Amino acid sequence: MRRLAPLLFLLCSSLTAQSQVRTVEVRTPRPFGYFLGDLVRAQVDIVVEPGFALQAASLPQPGAITYWLDLRTVAVTQASEGGGSRVRLDLTYQNFYAALDARALEIPGFTVTFVSDTDKGATTAKAQVPPWSFNISPLREVQPPAREDPRTYLRPDGRVASLDTQPLVVGSAGFMAMALLAFAGLAWDRTWWPFAKRGGRAFAACLRRLRALAGRGEDEAAYETALLALHRALDETDGRRVLADDLPAFLTRNPSYARERAGLAAFLDASRHSFFGPGPAGAMRRLPLADIVALTRKLTAIERES
Amino acid sequence: MNDIRSGDAMLSDWREAAGRFERAVRGAVVGQDRAIRLLTIALFARGHVLLEGDVGVGKTTLLRAVARALGGAYERIEGTVDMMPSDLIYHTYLADDGRPRVEPGPVLRQSEDLSIFFFNEINRARPQVHSLLLRLMAERSLTAFNREYRFPNLQVFADRNRVEREETFELPAAARDRFLMEIGLEAPRDAEARRALVFDPRFHDTDALIAGIDGGVLDHAAMAGIGAAIQHGIQASPAIEAYVVGLWEALVRPHEAGIRLPGIDMSALIQGGASPRGVAFLVRAARVRAWLEGRDWLVPEDIRAIFPEVMAHRVFLEPIYEMRRSTIVPELCRAVFDTVPAP
Repeated sequence: MRRLAPLLFLLCSSLTAQSQVRTVEVRTPRPFGYFLGDLVRAQVDIVVEPGFALQAASLPQPGAITYWLDLRTVAVTQASEGGGSRVRLDLTYQNFYAALDARALEIPGFTVTFVSDTDKGATTAKAQVPPWSFNISPLREVQPPAREDPRTYLRPDGRVASLDTQPLVVGSAGFMAMALLAFAGLAWDRTWWPFAKRGGRAFAACLRRLRALAGRGEDEAAYETALLALHRALDETDGRRVLADDLPAFLTRNPSYARERAGLAAFLDASRHSFFGPGPAGAMRRLPLADIVALTRKLTAIERES
Repeated sequence: MNDIRSGDAMLSDWREAAGRFERAVRGAVVGQDRAIRLLTIALFARGHVLLEGDVGVGKTTLLRAVARALGGAYERIEGTVDMMPSDLIYHTYLADDGRPRVEPGPVLRQSEDLSIFFFNEINRARPQVHSLLLRLMAERSLTAFNREYRFPNLQVFADRNRVEREETFELPAAARDRFLMEIGLEAPRDAEARRALVFDPRFHDTDALIAGIDGGVLDHAAMAGIGAAIQHGIQASPAIEAYVVGLWEALVRPHEAGIRLPGIDMSALIQGGASPRGVAFLVRAARVRAWLEGRDWLVPEDIRAIFPEVMAHRVFLEPIYEMRRSTIVPELCRAVFDTVPAP
């Protein structure tokens, strides 16, 4: 009796393992009619006890299995079925066996592991997927009859339907036109060659710089930088250096700015006091930074109209 | 704009006197307001002036009018081809008693009171005479009769004819550099002034016209003092200093400053010139202009107003461009002001 006990245990454990994996079934579309390079598909259905889940690491890895067989893809779907859990593996192999005669090839089987995690511990069960075979045929005769022209062994190329290029031509022309239009817009904005006469948006650029300066608070350095920025914009608009006494001449050359005459005069006066006279402190009282920004905004509006 | 400190009442009084002086000269010489303003600036900057222009546009009349309005001792000499430096200093002749005499010449005759020495047609005199002028103009002194003469109030006014080139001698660069300004004079463009000049008999008798000017408008003896007071009283900010240096750099090296003139190789245009003395003169004259405008600080407009007259004759072009000087240099000056940013 004492000698029987281990045997009994072995039997029981094998029985429990068998019962945890209920069925393993391999289905293939057809077992014959495959050639070199064909994809061989197989569907493996495994039904296990509820609570068991597939251990992904135990699945066969895509890649070369033998020298003539590659596993391309493995897809897993899991569903519950009749009190059990059904795991379906969709396997796609590719055959590289260059057969000289019709023969059966065997795809090797593999083992998949299932795990059931409970609070008492983990139980594993292995499902053995059996090997299955398919028939492969050669692509051509082994010894074809001799021909005079060896080129006739080659089959002619398959005919390809000629594509209609009209939509592509129309499409690319359309996109080309859109690109040109966008480029023209960019050139207009940047006053590149055909629009060079329009003059740069000097005051707009100046306004951007002033806005950046306005955040720096009311110190004298920022104020003088702001004055300089507006000076440079005036210079660029006129194409020469504009001094305080040049205001009437500037307005004669650029009459659209005449309605800001008073503002420009105040600016030039403040600049003169700041740079050449008593200093920026007095000039800041005469014309605060906010007024310069407001003046530049009006000048920018005039610039955009012209 | 009237920021002159109240403590400087003397400067304000003198500014009014300068205004009266300008009005007095303007009464006699019509249509030359700019030249009169420049001459006024030169007077208060204590600089010598060369007037240049066509025949009969009133160069001599203008200088005589200025000399008359300024007052003080005045001497005048005409440049000729056979003139020698000694002719300026002494004069030899046989007196009534048959004995030779040596008398002081035009420069020394008024001794040290001389306030205006007027050299007419200076380009007709030989270079020897020009070199005598170098020391007289730069140092306001002269050695003669074994002693040194000093002329603290001296200002040399010269004129020359622009058209004539026969039997004339170009002024050496050193002499030209000692003139504060070279003022080009043209007949007035204004139709009213032209009519008056031609038909009004008042302008036909030059002597009577000059005599009609009030001679006591300015105190010529105080001019040196007031000139120094102006130079000390007018402030130049760091911005204007940078501006002047920028102008100077652009004038001497226009190519590097990015100045381009059509048909001219800018890198081979300027041979030299624009001396530090010239730039110092520029600031002197600009300070006077600021003072006349009622400011006690310099602005770029002051520099620009006098720049061509003070600087143009100090720039020496390569010989290939020298013949076209009268068109190139004004263009260059304008381009310099269009290029150098202020402030």
